[in-house]
Amino acid sequence: MHEITSTPMDEIPIETIHQINGFDAIKENYPDYLTDESKLTMGAFDFLFFPQNESELATIVNEMIRKKICMTVAGARTGLVGGCVPLCGALISLENLNKTLDLSYSESADEWRIKAQAGVLLSDLATMITGKCFSDLEPDLSPETQKKLIHFKNDPGRYFYPPDPTEMSASLGGTVATNASGARTYHYGPTRDWIRGIRVLTMAGEFLEIPRGKYFSSPGGQFTVYDSKGGHTPIRIPEYTLPRTKNTAGFYAAPHMDLIDLFIGSEGALGIITTIEIALLPWEPKCSVIQFVSSDDKALHLVKSLRSDKRIQLDFMEFYSQNALNLLRKMQAEDSRMVGMPPIPESAGAALFFELGFDPEMDTPDYRALEETINTAGASLTDSWAGYETREISRFKHFRHLLPEKVTQVISERKKIHPEIHRLSSDLAVPDEHLDDIWNLYKERLNLANIEWVGFGHVGNNHFHISSMPRDMEELARGIKIYTEFAEKAVSYGGTVSAEHGIGKIKAKYLKTMYSKDHIAQMKSIKTALDPDLLLNPGNIFTQETCTK
Amino acid sequence: MNIVVAIKQVPEISNVQVNPETGTLIRQGVSSILNPFCEYALDHAVRLKALCPDIRITTVSMGPPQARSALMRTLELGADRAVLVCDRKFAGADTWVTALTLAEAIRCTVPDFHLIFVGKQAIDGDTAQVGPEMAEILHLPQISYGTACEITGNNKKIRVQRETESGYQILETRLPALVSFSKGENIRRAPSFADILSSRKKPIDLIRAQDLNIADQELGLSGSFTQVVKIFPPLLKENGPLLSGLSPQETTATIIKLLNTIDVLEKKEGSL
Repeated sequence: MHEITSTPMDEIPIETIHQINGFDAIKENYPDYLTDESKLTMGAFDFLFFPQNESELATIVNEMIRKKICMTVAGARTGLVGGCVPLCGALISLENLNKTLDLSYSESADEWRIKAQAGVLLSDLATMITGKCFSDLEPDLSPETQKKLIHFKNDPGRYFYPPDPTEMSASLGGTVATNASGARTYHYGPTRDWIRGIRVLTMAGEFLEIPRGKYFSSPGGQFTVYDSKGGHTPIRIPEYTLPRTKNTAGFYAAPHMDLIDLFIGSEGALGIITTIEIALLPWEPKCSVIQFVSSDDKALHLVKSLRSDKRIQLDFMEFYSQNALNLLRKMQAEDSRMVGMPPIPESAGAALFFELGFDPEMDTPDYRALEETINTAGASLTDSWAGYETREISRFKHFRHLLPEKVTQVISERKKIHPEIHRLSSDLAVPDEHLDDIWNLYKERLNLANIEWVGFGHVGNNHFHISSMPRDMEELARGIKIYTEFAEKAVSYGGTVSAEHGIGKIKAKYLKTMYSKDHIAQMKSIKTALDPDLLLNPGNIFTQETCTK
Repeated sequence: MNIVVAIKQVPEISNVQVNPETGTLIRQGVSSILNPFCEYALDHAVRLKALCPDIRITTVSMGPPQARSALMRTLELGADRAVLVCDRKFAGADTWVTALTLAEAIRCTVPDFHLIFVGKQAIDGDTAQVGPEMAEILHLPQISYGTACEITGNNKKIRVQRETESGYQILETRLPALVSFSKGENIRRAPSFADILSSRKKPIDLIRAQDLNIADQELGLSGSFTQVVKIFPPLLKENGPLLSGLSPQETTATIIKLLNTIDVLEKKEGSL
């Protein structure tokens, strides 16, 4: 079926909804809402709303549509590309749409599912799932829900929601709108793979209920959206082929595609996702391992060996380059307690961080395949750190996140002398066969330019985060030029300009590096079909520096 | 040289809550770990072993069968052998009976020990009693709150840096001796994956009540001088009044007025 109809919701008097009017009041009392983790700020905007439920949200959105006022939607403001930073008009924060709505078991898919509002935080979701405690559901138990809850609690298995975009204070809605991914995408895929249904408020002011597996594009590559007032909107799917890497640049497009996938990862350009149904997976005990090797090249060799050996199933593979380890060593020398790990071995020239299934109760675990592969790559399991207790897994994760935090700290120091300076960070991914090519390019160009940098990130997906710390404005300018070259090269390898951070406002200029004019026009035609007045999230994906309304 | 490290398995305390109605710990979803202070004690034993490879480290724990996983952790971190002291007859033991049982288990399993290392306290009970009580039972000199140590006197003495409220002391005692350890500058070790795999081949011996020279009535609850009657969280205090938007003079006057109403200020002639 490629036709879908939206349904309206009764509005309530707009004056009953709490709102903050005027940029001065917003700036003074709600300064955090002017930006996100990118620290980007744009123009002044006039209204700030915190809808408490869908009815309030629908009322606000319809009012904005009638008055032709632009709207930017915010989740937990943890994005890195300024997606929720308003250009003008109104900011609608979904943080109070944070209820868990339902728990169900799908017999056909043999999986537990949770339905929750967009503002639920991933950290809260994880706590609820681990503790099997859903306080939102429990006060209002219908016999049916009570039965499901008891069934879930009595299930001896532990469960988890696989997407782990590092930032657990992100909102569920934000991660769906951006198709967030992270280290575990290597094994579990991005957020998209775990979404079973969404509810979307369109710019017709009505709701679309989109379960996965119901609405597919027609053989001609088209969907039609009808609304309750008799309007109908044809949508034509773009003709481009997506890169063979994880990707968040541009709208999802594929032959016979599911409508849900058009909205997932569309960065709020096409509608406001209000409710999401996610799938859970049975949890299995894991062991985190940081494997030290002698050099960056040896690390990449090991990545390829581990990836090609089908006997070895790793949840993720993360990289620490030599210069990243050196930065961590410097931190250990300054404050070893803050790092919280033993001294990094002197012989270590790079490291891989991975996680694999491990049952601590087993007396004779068999990891011969892993040992062989590690030895063949010139390394040894004795040169590793490993831990399987919850606190140890958290400690290793903390060690991984120290790197970007340290880069931020270095940049903050440099900003005191050069206020305009900022970090340069890559979010490019390439297909497997170009892992060495892209790494060698990064290393060669940045070392030649004498720019201070570290390499880390999701090497299992050929997705490095190359973070440079320019020392002055001249270095920054040179760095920007080099990073543009990196993006062009990644695309020429069949990769993407944004593997996980999204395009937002900051990377909108890179879209044309990856897509032709025709393809961008095809994306824009979907945007204008669903949002004819371009009111929703202006400036996201498509370049727009000032408000046109 | 034989070093025994007495260890305890504890719930990962940052997650533990008390059920206010039953007064018991809510353990669902709470993992059990090797008590961090015991891990620091083991770390000092492993450091000594690195300097003197002849040292043999045995870890001993009294607890339920699940405590095996804490002992496994000690093997991963460098212990050579582990002993689990486990019997239903040990249930309900207070600190004294725990110390008595552990001391006897050490006498039975490592009769020629030179040192006993313990953590200064367990993070669940926080009593800090079992280590010192073991030293008394075994007639050993003891040094508490150690943060560093070295073997001296031709392997006949141990010199320990210990924390005090105002700084550090360096104490030395003859062997055999017992030392309890604080955190100090210690950062927990991370075993290699090879250590984790090979530790599963190391022995964990089991000691039962019948293996010890202690009468049944002296074990567990029946031998205990003390008993935990109830565990309860401290009463939550209501937040006090918060003054804001006042000048320093107004704030001071308001605070004095509030204090006067509850009559806690010393009255002097001519005072406010």
